[in-house]
Amino acid sequence: MTTGRAVAVVGGVTGPWGVRDLTWPELAEEIGAALYAAVPALASETPDSLFVGAAQPERFAFQSHVAPLAAEHLGIFPTRVVQRTELACASGQSAIRSAYAAIASGLSDVAVAVGIEKMNLPSMAEANTSMACVLDRAWDGPHGATAPPFFAMVAQRHMLEHGTTEEMLAAVSEKNHRFANANPTAQFHAKTFSREKLMRMPLVAPPLKLGDCSSMTDGAAAVVLAARDRVRRFTDAPAWVRGTGQSADFHNLANAGPLTDWAGLRRASGEALDGAGISVEALDFAELHDCFTISEIVEYEMLGLCARGEGGRFALDGRSDLGGDLVVNPRGGLLGCGHPLGATGIAQAVEVFDQFAGRTPAARRVPDPDWALVHNLSGSANVHSVMVYGREAPPA
Amino acid sequence: MTEPAPPAARRRPRTAAETVPPPAAPAPSGDPAVPYLLDFYPREGPSETRLTPFFETLRRGRLSTTRCRRDGALLWPPRLACPRCHTSDLEWIDLPGTGHVYAFSAVLAGAPLGMERDVPLVVGLVDLDGVPMRIFGRIVGRPWTECRVGLPVTVEPFDVPGGRVFYRFRATPSDA
Repeated sequence: MTTGRAVAVVGGVTGPWGVRDLTWPELAEEIGAALYAAVPALASETPDSLFVGAAQPERFAFQSHVAPLAAEHLGIFPTRVVQRTELACASGQSAIRSAYAAIASGLSDVAVAVGIEKMNLPSMAEANTSMACVLDRAWDGPHGATAPPFFAMVAQRHMLEHGTTEEMLAAVSEKNHRFANANPTAQFHAKTFSREKLMRMPLVAPPLKLGDCSSMTDGAAAVVLAARDRVRRFTDAPAWVRGTGQSADFHNLANAGPLTDWAGLRRASGEALDGAGISVEALDFAELHDCFTISEIVEYEMLGLCARGEGGRFALDGRSDLGGDLVVNPRGGLLGCGHPLGATGIAQAVEVFDQFAGRTPAARRVPDPDWALVHNLSGSANVHSVMVYGREAPPA
Repeated sequence: MTEPAPPAARRRPRTAAETVPPPAAPAPSGDPAVPYLLDFYPREGPSETRLTPFFETLRRGRLSTTRCRRDGALLWPPRLACPRCHTSDLEWIDLPGTGHVYAFSAVLAGAPLGMERDVPLVVGLVDLDGVPMRIFGRIVGRPWTECRVGLPVTVEPFDVPGGRVFYRFRATPSDA
């Protein structure tokens, strides 16, 4: 749906992602300086609100109340709204959605949405414990539930029900790593992964191998959103928020239903596309949440890009590649860029803004896009968050 | 279910054994000793939770849960209120002790704290026999390479050091 005043992303930047020699506040300072360099209008157009996407600073950085911490390190001092958003893997999009809602309602005119996550710790078991707390910690966690075995079960069922193969999974990973190869901010920038190389990687949670899984990543990204009457002060090429949708269906894994049917994504994407007044065929590219290769395959099906069960074949045949039916994850996806939880959704919006402005490197540039869809799942795909962006402003 | 008493304003003091988790003992047979992601201190007793009947029943060897008396909804995990009809008129019922694996995987890397020594560990979603309920749990008694969808399993309560109890699934031995 859409509501209230028209809102657009009017600038943004993604920082270098990977295993960084920076603490959480240092990541904030790095992305703040990068944002002010990338969006010169910020020198005169002071943001009135700040939204900070951060999934687990309490555990990863031993710090809560991070919104004012980020404000201080960014040098942004809100007069309307200062708020942290937490929605696990969708914390970044949650910051953008909150900024959108604040501006649409008239509470804010210019807002910054920043995502920051520091995930690589000296003890990776500690980091893995944090990730385990995303699921139902009391009832599923003590058995060993984390993201890889959950999505492995999705892959197992998809293989059993639809004949999906490990090569089909590798096709998703190869595509996204190839795009990331041409994305200087990506964790796996300038690295080559063939399908054969990906299929030889060690198992993490069978049938998923290392190359089927997004990684633990330190990183940040930031965007500026503005109300319709402020947009032209920033840019001539904004990315307008044209539709949004969100669903939350369950939390304990017992209540997931059939693992290969993500009904919540069908509803959330339908709501977002309806708000924009378009069908999925009108999209020029999509940033989908490929936390694991199987996720992207199920997402093709739930979006209606192909029939149920055909998602693996859709990837293998190059239909989600440049020149295919719909380019999916030209940024490089979570698989190629890494997945700093709070920053991922922000970086996807930066990608939309850059693609609309024609600034993307040729190897991953979508030709003349008018419409883009951004999707994040969180947890065990129990929450789906979708936004549709258009190059044209909504009707006044 | 009668209306539970409100929680006591002052909690009883904890013993040293409760406040300090015991060191994880080596697992002799690859079975878990202390599932680390349990609460850091015991929360199974009546001063900590109103789900004590679940743990008492588990000590007697049975898995149980709550069912809504108003709309019949079988709920997992056990609860104080029905999320369908939003009332607290629930009753405890025992669950079947057997089931079949709907999906499984194994943690071969990336285990949380305290579980690294158990790798590879098998986990899965199990359809309990005869009830519309599919719950997640650790599966022991069979290496992951020999597990399959449809594998029969039994519910196995086990004692956790520190006086607590939890549950897991064990591959049915006769299913070779």
